[in-house]
Amino acid sequence: MERRDFIATLGAAAAASAVPLRAASAAPASGRITLLHTNDTHSHIEPFGPGNGTLTGRGGVARRATLIKQLRAATGASLLLDAGDTFQGTPYFNLYKGRLDYRLMRMMGYDATTLGNHDFDNGVDMLVAAMESMEAMNHPNAPFAFINCNFDFKGAPHLAKRMRPYMVREFPGVKVGITGVGVAFAGLVSPQNHVGVGWRDPYESLRPVVKHLRETEKVDLVVVLSHLGYQMDGAYDDLRLPAHVPGVDAVIGGHTHTFLDVPTRLPQALGETLVFQVGFGGVNLGRMDFAVTRGEVRASGGTSMPVES
Amino acid sequence: MRSLFIVPLLATLAAAQAPAKVKAGLVQSIPVDGSIPDDPVMAAYLAPYAAKIKASFGQPLVKAPLGLFRGRPGEENLLGYWVADTMRAAAAKAIGMPVAFAFTNSGGLRANLRRGQLKVEDIYEVMPFENEVVIIELTGAEVIQVVREGLLHRGGEPCSGVLVKVSGTPENPILTVTWADGKPIDPTALVHVATTDYLYGGGDSIPTLRKGRNLVRTGLTLRQVMLDRCAALDKAGKELLPPAPGRYQVPPEFREAIREKKLSL
Repeated sequence: MERRDFIATLGAAAAASAVPLRAASAAPASGRITLLHTNDTHSHIEPFGPGNGTLTGRGGVARRATLIKQLRAATGASLLLDAGDTFQGTPYFNLYKGRLDYRLMRMMGYDATTLGNHDFDNGVDMLVAAMESMEAMNHPNAPFAFINCNFDFKGAPHLAKRMRPYMVREFPGVKVGITGVGVAFAGLVSPQNHVGVGWRDPYESLRPVVKHLRETEKVDLVVVLSHLGYQMDGAYDDLRLPAHVPGVDAVIGGHTHTFLDVPTRLPQALGETLVFQVGFGGVNLGRMDFAVTRGEVRASGGTSMPVES
Repeated sequence: MRSLFIVPLLATLAAAQAPAKVKAGLVQSIPVDGSIPDDPVMAAYLAPYAAKIKASFGQPLVKAPLGLFRGRPGEENLLGYWVADTMRAAAAKAIGMPVAFAFTNSGGLRANLRRGQLKVEDIYEVMPFENEVVIIELTGAEVIQVVREGLLHRGGEPCSGVLVKVSGTPENPILTVTWADGKPIDPTALVHVATTDYLYGGGDSIPTLRKGRNLVRTGLTLRQVMLDRCAALDKAGKELLPPAPGRYQVPPEFREAIREKKLSL
């Protein structure tokens, strides 16, 4: 049965039985979304100076701002995302303690980021101070979101109230769910710098969040901001994530400073996951476009499936 | 029509939408380079911050006519040797006693020192972290174990005060560690060791450093002792030159076995 006919049938039936059927809404049946993204920008506010090999002369936030503006004007629905490690790497961080980095991200129109290990380099209080500085600025762009679902922030209330496990953004014909995961602190972050913040298994943390986004929030596209690393010795990395967490459409990765020209496509139980990472230091901006076609309306269980045949 | 008859039943079930079909379109990594003009608003906002950076970090420090480099894989990390020497000397000065050994991690050195006039910012780029120089006591056996852990973890980490040689075959390797003057290390002797609070705290997987006794915090960041050393050289009319190579003698077949995690020392 053609989708349109089916909707019409259902609509008539719903009216007859006076039971509203949410699924037969007027939302557009298809849409497009462009994800623009960075990772491991590491306070590289200015372009790389001489002596940096192939990176010399690349990067710089004033250029990145221009590129983002041009792309967003050309693409329509878009999200600007980052995979963490905004802090540490140039004197800008030593002098401005990450506050300038976050303020510039808000000015560029970032929608969300996650936390990398280096974002804890000055401790939790300084991280919160950088977030506060970004939130307090007077700018037409809204403050961006900080997303992570595998850190336990219970012991760090000021940070906890600025973090969320996921967010949902709706565009015409596309509803996007975004969540995030971070790398284990052991051996990377001094204990005194993550006081009150615990780490949990990222796959186990992601599974219920992805399920919630798909089944309750009913998003069309699930995006994970990951600071696990592209390929690691341990059990957790972006290449292994899709097999452990089905239902993720895109992983925007960081941590390993991996330069990929195009995303790595990995099959998973519910389709395909695109794993991407674009180097570090803001020398590249990643772009992933997705076209979403919403599926046919069907009952979620029971014996009434013949309507589909 | 059949479906009309089953609708009352259907309506009692949760209506749901099949997963959307998602298709990736254009995917690319776009270079951010000089072909893209600066956003004027952003550039204007940044200007005063950049000026302040330039004023404090653009200060000339010392001349380094040869530069100091971390070395490509297989080459010695002469920058790392200099950093280890510098922390060892600063630690000895801080406690007024000899410090036999210093150890740092290559991963913590984030840039090379280019040839020519160094500026304050160059040292910040090498060592952006706020790591503090700490002094601990280890036995001679533990010093050798720290060297071994660095070898297996990263192929040999920057250190000062010892000579390290791997010989034999990759199947039957022999590790020889002596003091820098070639004298044997007494495994039972307690010596002072300089490292960073990061490594002492378990960072970068050198577990034996955590066994350190009688911790002394110097209150000096590793970066500060590097800045102080450069300033002292310049004040004395000297240049910053790389230390001599030869601290690690690890033939290529062993380096390969280490990379493949096949070497047991």
